[in-house]
Amino acid sequence: MTAAKLRQTLLIVDDHESVLGGAVSVLEKEYPNADIRTAKTAQEVKENLALAVPDLLVTDLSIPEAPGKSTQIETGIQLLRTLMETYPELNIVVQSAHVRSLIRIKPAIDSHQGGFTIADKNLPMREMLEKVDWALKGLIYTPRDMRTGIEVKPEWLEVLYLAFRDGLQDKAIAEQMNVSERTVRHYWTKVQDALSVYPEAGKNIRIQTEIRAREEGLID
Amino acid sequence: MANYKTTQTVWERLQHSKSRWQRQVLPGLIVIALVVFARTLGLLQELEWATLDSFLRWRPAEQPDDRVLNVGFVNADIQQVGAYPIPDQELAALLQVLAQHAPRAIAVDMIRDLPVEPGHGILAETLATSPNIFGIEKIAAEAVSPPRALPPGRIGFTDFPLDSDGFVRRAYLGAFPFIEHSDSDRFRFSLALQLAKAYLAEEGLVLENGLQNPENMRFGDTELWRVQSNSGGYVNTDATGVQVLIHPRSGKSPFKGVSMADVLEGRVDADLIRDRLVLIGVTSLSAKDLVNSAAVNASNPGRVYGVAMHAHITSQILSAVLDDRPMLRGWRDGWEYLWIVLWGGVGMLLVRYVPRPSWYMLSVGLIGLGLVGTGLALLWLGGWWVPVMPALMVFVVNGWVLPGFYFYDQTLRSRIDEHQRVIEHTYDAIHNGPLQTLALLLQQQEDLNPPISAKLDSLNQELRAIYQRLLQESLPLEEQLQLGSQEVVDLRNPLYEVLHEVYTKTLKRDFPGFDSIQFQIVKFEPMQVAGLSSDDRRSLCRFLEEALCNVGKHAVGAKRLTVLCLATESENLIRVEDNGRGDRVPSDAKTGGRGTQQALALAKRLHGTFQRSSPGMGIRCELRWPVPATNPWSR
Repeated sequence: MTAAKLRQTLLIVDDHESVLGGAVSVLEKEYPNADIRTAKTAQEVKENLALAVPDLLVTDLSIPEAPGKSTQIETGIQLLRTLMETYPELNIVVQSAHVRSLIRIKPAIDSHQGGFTIADKNLPMREMLEKVDWALKGLIYTPRDMRTGIEVKPEWLEVLYLAFRDGLQDKAIAEQMNVSERTVRHYWTKVQDALSVYPEAGKNIRIQTEIRAREEGLID
Repeated sequence: MANYKTTQTVWERLQHSKSRWQRQVLPGLIVIALVVFARTLGLLQELEWATLDSFLRWRPAEQPDDRVLNVGFVNADIQQVGAYPIPDQELAALLQVLAQHAPRAIAVDMIRDLPVEPGHGILAETLATSPNIFGIEKIAAEAVSPPRALPPGRIGFTDFPLDSDGFVRRAYLGAFPFIEHSDSDRFRFSLALQLAKAYLAEEGLVLENGLQNPENMRFGDTELWRVQSNSGGYVNTDATGVQVLIHPRSGKSPFKGVSMADVLEGRVDADLIRDRLVLIGVTSLSAKDLVNSAAVNASNPGRVYGVAMHAHITSQILSAVLDDRPMLRGWRDGWEYLWIVLWGGVGMLLVRYVPRPSWYMLSVGLIGLGLVGTGLALLWLGGWWVPVMPALMVFVVNGWVLPGFYFYDQTLRSRIDEHQRVIEHTYDAIHNGPLQTLALLLQQQEDLNPPISAKLDSLNQELRAIYQRLLQESLPLEEQLQLGSQEVVDLRNPLYEVLHEVYTKTLKRDFPGFDSIQFQIVKFEPMQVAGLSSDDRRSLCRFLEEALCNVGKHAVGAKRLTVLCLATESENLIRVEDNGRGDRVPSDAKTGGRGTQQALALAKRLHGTFQRSSPGMGIRCELRWPVPATNPWSR
């Protein structure tokens, strides 16, 4: 994992000073050129984003709405709802131990066009860094227990058909589906998450996807 | 966001105009309508009369009216004369003494249709020759003639119009006698009016027709407001003749009173008689010349000597004309009912502005007292008889009784809120303490030995599960949807999220039809659901649950399940489709089973359509309903 050449901006959200400090120091080490900002409340996040949209938002779910208010998962969920609606291309990492609470907003996550990964807070730091990297690349990662078996949206399935049955390239798929190439690439990451196919060194991810799709019966 | 759930609840309740209308506005309006209806039927008449009497009695004392002197035949006088009725001779002597002091008029408020010897000749002569002595007659059913010696211009009648409770609150100024009277076509004046006329004639004022209402009588600028059949608290009362409401002079002794002996023995100051109106009557209980009135402060509560009542009425006319003392009168009916409705409205509104029950009771009490005080002040200062009791009734019922239910409801809700707050605080404490420590420990999982690490993991899960469970329990019943035996869904979230939750939870249930499914094609997107009640939302969730359960129970070999919940530009769509074997006939498709019936009913309610079809393989269940128009009245 290499630090990006451009100066990236990251916004880290957590209401606990110690956790926040820990995360910031790890990320600073990983992204030495990045501009890392922090926020402690939902209100602060919204103010921050109104000024400038960062390349990545790393947020906890249990946060207070404003300083002095009580900490609630509901606040984090509501913040995510709002952010995904206002900034559909924002890259987001959700750091939380309450992964199951996110099932509620899965439809919104499925429609979100930016990277979206979920890092269980209880997992070691390096897994968190991996999720940060994926989100920055616009990838999707949701834990398996957030999904009910294999779930795909109709348009993702169409991408699979066009690619593996008709052998089309992304550009041709985009034309067929009447969407942008960028959207097609995004559908790929969505369907890869649905099939639990993630970047692995030395493996071709498209071929991995095809193998898994056939295994699961998505394409005959 | 700390109270995202609670604030949302309150906001939703505020927006729930339908339930507010049903819970607060409608009952209030019904109470007002009932009271207004009861009043128009006359059911509140006696209550309003009694209030008027009490208010008149409670007024502060007025200055005595020294234009009027009462000369009474008291018990001692009758004893001394040794005869009753008082013989004409004694009466004539009294009149002669009084006449020497030149009063403006003398009224003999005693029945003298027949001679009471001895001395009838002298009395007849006295009456005939003194131009300022007035006599009385009775013109109602049991008519009594006036003294024969008096010309018609010096006779006044002393009948009263009685209310149905037997009390006197109105006085005649003039009337026709009852129909079988020997001289029934001649309009007559009452004694009080005759005396007032005589007194005011010397002030240069004569009796005329009213200017504001030609049916009123008038002296100078002063209209004597006539009683109409619906005046004040009266409903359809007999307002024949010319009647006014009696506005008695308040105080213990509004007029000077002396006895016959006082006059005959020269104990009465000549100044008390000169230029005054002198009313002679019997003021002994044995003579029974009494009327019922609760409005006058009498030594014998509720009973007033007839002569005293005539003095009140006469004085009322004089004071109105000469001192601008207000006449007693009611508002027009329209204003009276507006006043009642307004107080009902105040009662309904009050509950919104006074948050605490203990203060609330006090506020209702104080405002109620204020209403009574206002009524009293209007009567005292302006002579206005306003409907205090009906207004008090609607105000107290709307302000006191109805909110009882409302407070009960609010208490219940605040208990639930309290419950939720306790849960949140508990969770905060757990989250900020043990869970953080645990999280730090778990980050170093690799350094721990596996059994301990696994136990920490499950400890973590258990702690979090407690919170979730508590939260679910605190959801208000009308906002939850029970799925299966354990799961509870919060209906207050956006509909497509709620439907997604139903889908997720239903698919986890153990049905044979789900086993073969390889993958689901799903699309949950925001729907157009403005105006859906929480019942509708619940029914939509039930519909999705039922459709999924049908797949689980009946589908054979389905490999693919499609679930779409979305909105196009014109309609909302919920579709559940599987690709099981095509040979299966849905058990209730033909018989119109319960599930289908419910779906059809729901579709009808939403003005949409429900279809169950079999396109090639499998079964497709589909509910479509139009996007509600922006105008909320169109539904």
